[in-house]
Amino acid sequence: MQHPRRREVIVSEAQAASWITDGMTIAIGGLLSSSHPMALIRQIIRQGVKGLTVLAGSAGLELDLLIAAGCVDKVAVSLMTGEAVVAVGPMFRAAAQSGRLQVWEAEESIYAAGLQAAALGLPFMPCRAGVGTSLPRINPDLKEFRDPIKGEPLLAVPALRADVAILHADRSDPYGNVQHEGTGFGDRALFRAADKVIVQVEKIVTNEEIRRRPEATSIPGADAVVRAPLGAHPGSCPGRYLEDLAHMKEYADAAKEAGGKGNDGKLASYLERYVLGITNHLEYLDVIGAGRLLSLQEF
Amino acid sequence: MGCAEDYSAAELMAVFLSRDLRDGEMAHLGANQPVPRAAVLLAHLTHAPNMKVSQSLTLANLIDVPRPVPYSEFFTDWRRARWAESYRLGHEVFADVKRFADFFFLGGIQIDRFGNVNLIGTGTDYRRLDFRGPGSGAAAMASTFCPRYYLVAGDHNKRLLVDKVDFISAFGFGDGGREARNALGLPGGGPKYLVTPLCVMDFEPETKRMRLASLHPGVALEQVLENTSFDPVLPENIPTTAAPTSEELAVLRGRIDPQGTLRRG
Repeated sequence: MQHPRRREVIVSEAQAASWITDGMTIAIGGLLSSSHPMALIRQIIRQGVKGLTVLAGSAGLELDLLIAAGCVDKVAVSLMTGEAVVAVGPMFRAAAQSGRLQVWEAEESIYAAGLQAAALGLPFMPCRAGVGTSLPRINPDLKEFRDPIKGEPLLAVPALRADVAILHADRSDPYGNVQHEGTGFGDRALFRAADKVIVQVEKIVTNEEIRRRPEATSIPGADAVVRAPLGAHPGSCPGRYLEDLAHMKEYADAAKEAGGKGNDGKLASYLERYVLGITNHLEYLDVIGAGRLLSLQEF
Repeated sequence: MGCAEDYSAAELMAVFLSRDLRDGEMAHLGANQPVPRAAVLLAHLTHAPNMKVSQSLTLANLIDVPRPVPYSEFFTDWRRARWAESYRLGHEVFADVKRFADFFFLGGIQIDRFGNVNLIGTGTDYRRLDFRGPGSGAAAMASTFCPRYYLVAGDHNKRLLVDKVDFISAFGFGDGGREARNALGLPGGGPKYLVTPLCVMDFEPETKRMRLASLHPGVALEQVLENTSFDPVLPENIPTTAAPTSEELAVLRGRIDPQGTLRRG
């Protein structure tokens, strides 16, 4: 009898992104300007996916780019900032102000409570944060209630479940044992709240290397792994490279003209040059250039 | 101790805040907060050697590190994690509310006379905001549970300091009154001070209305009143914010802010 073979989960970014179809709910990993799965996000844009609901948490310009490309109808967000590059994502701002984008107004602990409810298979989690604020008024999914034990005012945060979570991490073996460098931010919570998880990684490593430090395995079982070195660019990746400030400014300037002044010529050029006019992540790295990419790795 | 003559408003704000931070406390630093960062490190390096600093989802005591963490534009700058003694996983921060931090710092797009903060947006219709803000971050959680926090304003103007915020991200004292927070079961103590480039305000104990606590050196009362949308409670004698000492400025400029971030604009 032939020895059965363990299944490998490494796929191309196009294969992985094909799991994401119109109208789905996706969760995006990373935090602010770091560790977003940019290679997958650019591929989702190339595939022309529409009508997404995005669980974005405390997001950066990755969310703004998806909105700019017309992929997003609704977003659950606690913070949306390009930090020092731009205080609020320009396309997010314009789409939210016009009412084109539906915002599920959250806050970090409310967002965490919703993910936890999904992970626990519960309809909601109670949450004290948000009591007294405007959040339950502007987000009617957050229900004020009296707790049945002590009678205190609390919020019920409904489960935030995703069809697919897309994450960026440092490394994985061919079987989807993923290890982050650094904290991993909130990625583990997204893994637990999503039906399927796709992780793009800086490096594919051997199974032996994972077994050297099993305590570092943060996602024990990604459904798909995509090889994407420098794949969080222009954001940072802990232990690997810093934020590309100049590139983020280039995007933000184009988005400001489109969002604020309605002139989307620069934004269209940005999308053409860095997303639509190329076919995969390695071509993207060629466009950015080795000199720029290497300089981000010295700190 | 010598008194320094030449310093910026941001340096004065950092020094004022640093004097209110105590040894053994856990400080939380958010994104892009140059004044709070300087305040925390100044307290840590001068009188609070047992402080723990939470930044970029790491925790560390920085008293003996060769170089304190540089100012960075990005919350997630990996260099801020250089001296980590432990990591804080995103969701775990919210699973241990009593150890989130002893204090934190909060800015806003609107701050009102009862210390409520708005980060959501301005306008009357939430679905058609006049100005969409960045969102609440962790402000609801931190303001609910932290024993105290500091409102820090980069500018002092009527657009920021309003009579009533359009939306509440962080509940300070609601519509006022000593029992405002207790009535909602909020365990934290609420905002302690508002610090701006012109003055310091605290909260009058009975009404919880903002009260002028001190004017920065060289600032006239009229300047504050002309640039604030509400009338703060005015004490009979208005003190002047104590200037930085030359020792404080030496640590601030030599070890914490050699790039001069607090001296620019």
